[in-house]
Amino acid sequence: MRDSNKPVAAGTGRDPAMARRWFLKDCGVGLGAIAAAGLMAEESAAASAADPLAMRQPHFPAKAKNVIYLFMAGAPSHLELFDYKPQLAKFDGTLPPAELLKGYRAAFIDPNSKLLGPRFKFSRHGKCGAEISEILPHTAKVADELTIVKSLTTDAFNHAPAQIMMNTGSQLFGKPSLGSWTLYGLGSESKDLPGFVVFSSGQKGPSGGNSNWGSGYLPTVYSGVQLRSVGDPVLYLSNPPGVDKRAQRDSLDAITALNQQRLSATGDPEIATRISSYEMAYRMQASAPELMDIASESQKTLDLYGVDPDKPSFAKNCLLARRLVERGVRFVQLFHEAWDQHGNLVGGLKTNCQDTDQACAALVQDLKQRGMLEDTLVIWGGEFGRTPMVQGGGNDGRDHHPNAFTMWMAGGGMKPGTTLGESDEFGFNVTADRVHVRDLHATILNQLGFDHTRLSVKFQGLDQRLTGVEPARVVKEILA
Amino acid sequence: MNHRFAPPSSVPPSPWVSLVGLIITACLAVDVAKAADTPIDFANQVRPILSDACFACHGPDEASREADLRLDDPDSALAMIEPGDAESSELYQRLLESDSERVMPPPGSGKKLDAEQIAILKQWIEQGAEFEQHWAFTSPTRPEIPEVENAAWVKNPIDAFVVSKLDAESLSLSPLAGAVTLVRRLSLDLTGLPPEPEFVAEWAGRLNQDRENAYRDLVSQLLQSNHYGEHWGRFWLDAARYADSDGYEKDKPREAWFYRDWVVQSLNQDRPYNDFIIRQIAGDLLPDATQADHVATGFLRNSMVNEEGGADPEQFRMEAMFDRMDAIGKSILGLTIQCGQCHSHKYDPLQQDEYYGMFAFLNNTHDAIIPVYTDEELGRRKEVLSQIEELENEIKRAIPDWQDQLLAWAEATSRRSEPTWSVTELSFLDRSLGGSKFLPQGDGSYLCQSYAPTNFNPEGTGTFHGQRLSGLQLELLTHSNLPRSGPGRSVEGTWALSELTAEVYLSGTPEQKHSIKFKRALADRSPETADLKSRYDNKQEAKRTIGGIEFAIDGDDKTAWTNEVDSPLSNIPQTAWFEFEQPIEIPDGQHATVVVHLAQRHGGWNSDDNQTFNIGRFRVSLTGDAIPEFDPLPSDVKAILQKDPSQWNAEQSASVFSHWRTTIDQAKPWNEKIAAAWLNHPTGTTQLTLAERGQQRTTSRLVRGNFLSPAGEISPHVPEFLHELPETDQPPRLQFARWLAADDSPTTARSIVNRIWQAYFGVGLVETSDDLGTQSAPPSHPELLDFLAVELVDSGWSLKHLHRLIVGSATYQQSSNVTSELARLDPYNRLLARGARFRVPAETVRDITLAASGLLNPSLGGPSVYPPAPAFLFTPPVSYGPKVWDVAEDASRYRRALYTFRFRSVPYPMLENFDAVPGNLSCVRRSMSNTPMQALTSLNEPMFLECSIALAAKTIRERQASSDAERLDFIFRRCVAREATADEQGVLQTYLDRQRGRIDSGELTAETILSAGSLLDLEGLEENELAAWSLVCRVILNLDETITRE
Repeated sequence: MRDSNKPVAAGTGRDPAMARRWFLKDCGVGLGAIAAAGLMAEESAAASAADPLAMRQPHFPAKAKNVIYLFMAGAPSHLELFDYKPQLAKFDGTLPPAELLKGYRAAFIDPNSKLLGPRFKFSRHGKCGAEISEILPHTAKVADELTIVKSLTTDAFNHAPAQIMMNTGSQLFGKPSLGSWTLYGLGSESKDLPGFVVFSSGQKGPSGGNSNWGSGYLPTVYSGVQLRSVGDPVLYLSNPPGVDKRAQRDSLDAITALNQQRLSATGDPEIATRISSYEMAYRMQASAPELMDIASESQKTLDLYGVDPDKPSFAKNCLLARRLVERGVRFVQLFHEAWDQHGNLVGGLKTNCQDTDQACAALVQDLKQRGMLEDTLVIWGGEFGRTPMVQGGGNDGRDHHPNAFTMWMAGGGMKPGTTLGESDEFGFNVTADRVHVRDLHATILNQLGFDHTRLSVKFQGLDQRLTGVEPARVVKEILA
Repeated sequence: MNHRFAPPSSVPPSPWVSLVGLIITACLAVDVAKAADTPIDFANQVRPILSDACFACHGPDEASREADLRLDDPDSALAMIEPGDAESSELYQRLLESDSERVMPPPGSGKKLDAEQIAILKQWIEQGAEFEQHWAFTSPTRPEIPEVENAAWVKNPIDAFVVSKLDAESLSLSPLAGAVTLVRRLSLDLTGLPPEPEFVAEWAGRLNQDRENAYRDLVSQLLQSNHYGEHWGRFWLDAARYADSDGYEKDKPREAWFYRDWVVQSLNQDRPYNDFIIRQIAGDLLPDATQADHVATGFLRNSMVNEEGGADPEQFRMEAMFDRMDAIGKSILGLTIQCGQCHSHKYDPLQQDEYYGMFAFLNNTHDAIIPVYTDEELGRRKEVLSQIEELENEIKRAIPDWQDQLLAWAEATSRRSEPTWSVTELSFLDRSLGGSKFLPQGDGSYLCQSYAPTNFNPEGTGTFHGQRLSGLQLELLTHSNLPRSGPGRSVEGTWALSELTAEVYLSGTPEQKHSIKFKRALADRSPETADLKSRYDNKQEAKRTIGGIEFAIDGDDKTAWTNEVDSPLSNIPQTAWFEFEQPIEIPDGQHATVVVHLAQRHGGWNSDDNQTFNIGRFRVSLTGDAIPEFDPLPSDVKAILQKDPSQWNAEQSASVFSHWRTTIDQAKPWNEKIAAAWLNHPTGTTQLTLAERGQQRTTSRLVRGNFLSPAGEISPHVPEFLHELPETDQPPRLQFARWLAADDSPTTARSIVNRIWQAYFGVGLVETSDDLGTQSAPPSHPELLDFLAVELVDSGWSLKHLHRLIVGSATYQQSSNVTSELARLDPYNRLLARGARFRVPAETVRDITLAASGLLNPSLGGPSVYPPAPAFLFTPPVSYGPKVWDVAEDASRYRRALYTFRFRSVPYPMLENFDAVPGNLSCVRRSMSNTPMQALTSLNEPMFLECSIALAAKTIRERQASSDAERLDFIFRRCVAREATADEQGVLQTYLDRQRGRIDSGELTAETILSAGSLLDLEGLEENELAAWSLVCRVILNLDETITRE
């Protein structure tokens, strides 16, 4: 594979084949790709491409090609949204059983605080009869598309470590995120957009910061790129003031011509990569604004999501997520940091559901109508759950709770209209079909075509993987 | 697939290097294995196979060991091996086994040996199955310098090692690079800055005349530049995970730049590397430790700090400890040790107990934040202190019998009757703490840690047994974990108590709660009333003030008692007494329950920033005795007065005097002068450091690294497979520091010389520069690595000696041009038959742009700076909390990128796009990418534009009467040092003409193009011409060569 090392021929460099190297963040030959090829050599001979973002075959045929992860940062209350607990209502105002609290640590409250019954009504929805809260009327309408898991559990109960855990499989900063692993494993279909895109909405940025979408010890080419839904979607996308399109093109032509002369003089193939990076940048200057132009969507679609095209919102990000996936972007992650209801449980949840419920449901419906839900895995959930015990004097808050919480998924080969797992009568501990964060990761990777034990990279002498060293299982019960 | 764009690179990106190394090794091994009589090399050929495929189950980790077999231990392994006879060796037979139950490695392990690997093992057994210690676990010894045929190539021993390997491959070194290239290469490599054109001309001339001497002089001159330390300091700061913020959710700004500057200064003065290490691990424990020695321990304190609401301080202290261990492993030992957190290492002979043995050396520290002063401030501080001393002497002269008076006062004071205070243990209502944690200190006091809300009212409940309750004492105490030792939690260690309120009820009548009305409050210090500092702005209209003790009980939350006196005197303990208007009588057989509220509402609006004004440590006591008329004494004075004056030492006598004089009317004029003098004391800044903890912590092995599962006490000890720890009576951490930097450490010197090599050649002699352990890639030139390591130690650990040695070699000075032939034979340049050519690090990209444009502000050190960045990055919902980023519009805008403020959660985008690391964990190899994001940045980011305009302005001014060609050449030389070729001139001239035409015709607007240069002095320059040249400069600043070191 090294005998094609010829200097680049002169020209504008606008060779269509160059598109294959879109967003090539690795150097020259793309050692990342070689490594990836090596790692997956037994599965995929096609991965010998020099492009670390070239499309690659996974270990086995994938059910899902793309992922849209709706990250409800701050940790929504499972007890008010999906995991209805009549017993909790019954014991409202009493202390929890002592045996439940043995060894339990809470972030804010004295664990021995009174129980607080669910603050909203639930009813059954769809043919599947899923129990969903009254404040999620839109989600309830797509109940038959959802795979609800009520038995999630995690190791961390502070926001930043728990978000990092949910996104990288470890509470320690510096590990690659789920999106990075996905891009590393599958490459990117998009030739002129980043393969892993992140949006942020809500009151704040996510507690875990940009480590939530970092590439850790994978090359930086696999890290998430944060887009904005207003202004320049990508940093430094617009030409500088006074530089019009033609001046930009002239500049690129001059840069390319000079770089090519240097390439001939030095023979360093890295210069060829730089030339192609500049061309890709130039093309992205056109494609990114096109992506963001949601005025081209029908009014019906805008209404479905409840989008005001002029305002940044979670709903707009959902619609953009669909547009990104349509354009071949592998992994889209939407952070909505708003769910930390230590107080104002009722008001906060209502607001958050108003801001997100319709768009989440719309995304599922829209993907389905367009035939995209089949190979797009939609994931909804936060970093942990909330305590059945009350926080604060006003009976209007819940603390962080790692032992049991709920997430849902849709599409991507999940069994629709399914609910898996149970928590105890207070929603405190998982009592059936426990799904640890690493089981969730193993399952997501499975849908993307990967054996989680084999999707690994050697770093610091170890085969590192998303699911770490503890045993993890693919949750087969929820697969179609 | 477009293979034209798939050429090899000279710069492997970090995480992949190990793999590439394995591929290469495997290829070499195959060749060797084919020649049956060639001796198999255990370290390079056999051990990597065993380590990768077998050690996980048959290696050092006892917990995962199968069949009680250790293939890393010859004694155990030989049970499976018949040396000299592979066929009779079970180890070999099991590799060939067809039974899936018996074949090794087992199919489920994910490991599989190919035919070549099996052949190597076979041959190794046939040749006698000799085991060797892993190369990196034996101390390096000075290797013999190989004789090479073509001695003309050899400038120093480095070349002998390189050429002898090239000879074996029938290759030779490339010709030396040209003089201009070398001047730029050396400038970029040694100082991180491009050379000024005059400098290039001068040195290229001298090099062409008298190559050897000129080269040596050039290197010396560059090594003496203070920019050397800035450039090489950056590499260490990556390893030290330096950042200017805490990380995690809050990611609050912190002051750590004294540490950054200490690193730079240490390198500039060529502080021996062993000493450099020792001071960073235990500088505070050295005899007569200086401020700088304390600052050096900032290395371990660069760990992230989590103060999100509800975070358990002990949990995140342990996370920080693990991070410190990881940093020591990567940056000093060059070993992967973090596995030891949970279990014994699977590959290296590191037992879990040994991990915690090293941990134990470090475990007995406080996380201090100490005041530190610049040299100028230290001078001022000395002046103030001596002025105060002189004023006190004047008092003594003015009151000749001061000693008698003082002793009389001391005696009277110590005899006066004070209430008997009983310390009250409190339980805290969690909901009022807002996620803060109040940690009991064992003396009835509480240390406030974790989240620090800027407005809260914690409630503590305690009991009092006695017949009568009449007063409450509140002590504010210092602690090493508080900023400037506290007693407050503000960045100045100050606090403001908006209101103290209390309720009491009796055990017999718990439903009858009495709100306590305080008659009066007394304190050992009551500052003058003052406005709040802007840091505490809460964006509310109501004005808040701080001042004396009366503010604590005036029923007004807007006034607060404070310790803030804007001098080091803020940071001492305080005491206050509160007298009940109505004493509470407690009937026999009952007790009183007291609920205390400490309202702290004087912080700023943003709890996610450094705006807290809370109390850091306090103690509440109660009494039934009468509250005296006199103020409480400062606690230190009180303690001294309890001793007989004959027992006082000089310092204690001085403390008593300093208090006594404030009680004497006659001293008033001087007291006022002294108070005024204190206000001239420099505020200084702070630095995160280690402070030794008085009370020893117990270190335990933690089951699966969980701090809640300790399993057996561990005393400090070092791993057996490394060098020995000499017995000394030094403090354990200092002992450990000296051990890490010992001459006989097998990995310490190798690790640093390898990383320095990596910085020069893009890849280390060992590619896995973060891991020299058994899973590492074998060194490309093992003897050279050892030679460099021994040279470093023998030179007294002089890094500058090492730099001189490396850049003095012919290997270093080769041309970096590559033929397609060589690129094919050695794509990664591991054989070193050419010079390295690679894009410079992120910081150097920025520095080159600034330097070429003439804007660079070369000043050294100081607080981090805020060059332009998009404001939205620092605002929710992009960042978690609102962050302050006041874009610099003064000269600090143009400082080297080393000084750019580093928020961990919001990395500076230009640097991040060029692969700078955020400092979340230790990094000794950055990845090296080449991306469209980089292209967008250098094409469109405002600073690049500003630099383009500045460079154009400089060009026009300095080449006023020149032709376009001369101006183009001027710019070219400023960016890439060399002159432009005719072809390059042609491209640029065409571009210039075209832009000029478009500007002159009005298609492009000069004024708009120049808007990015609004801060620049563009006086007297013709706009259209300047705009056209600015666009030209932008093109040249964007060239691959401009940001590449050739």
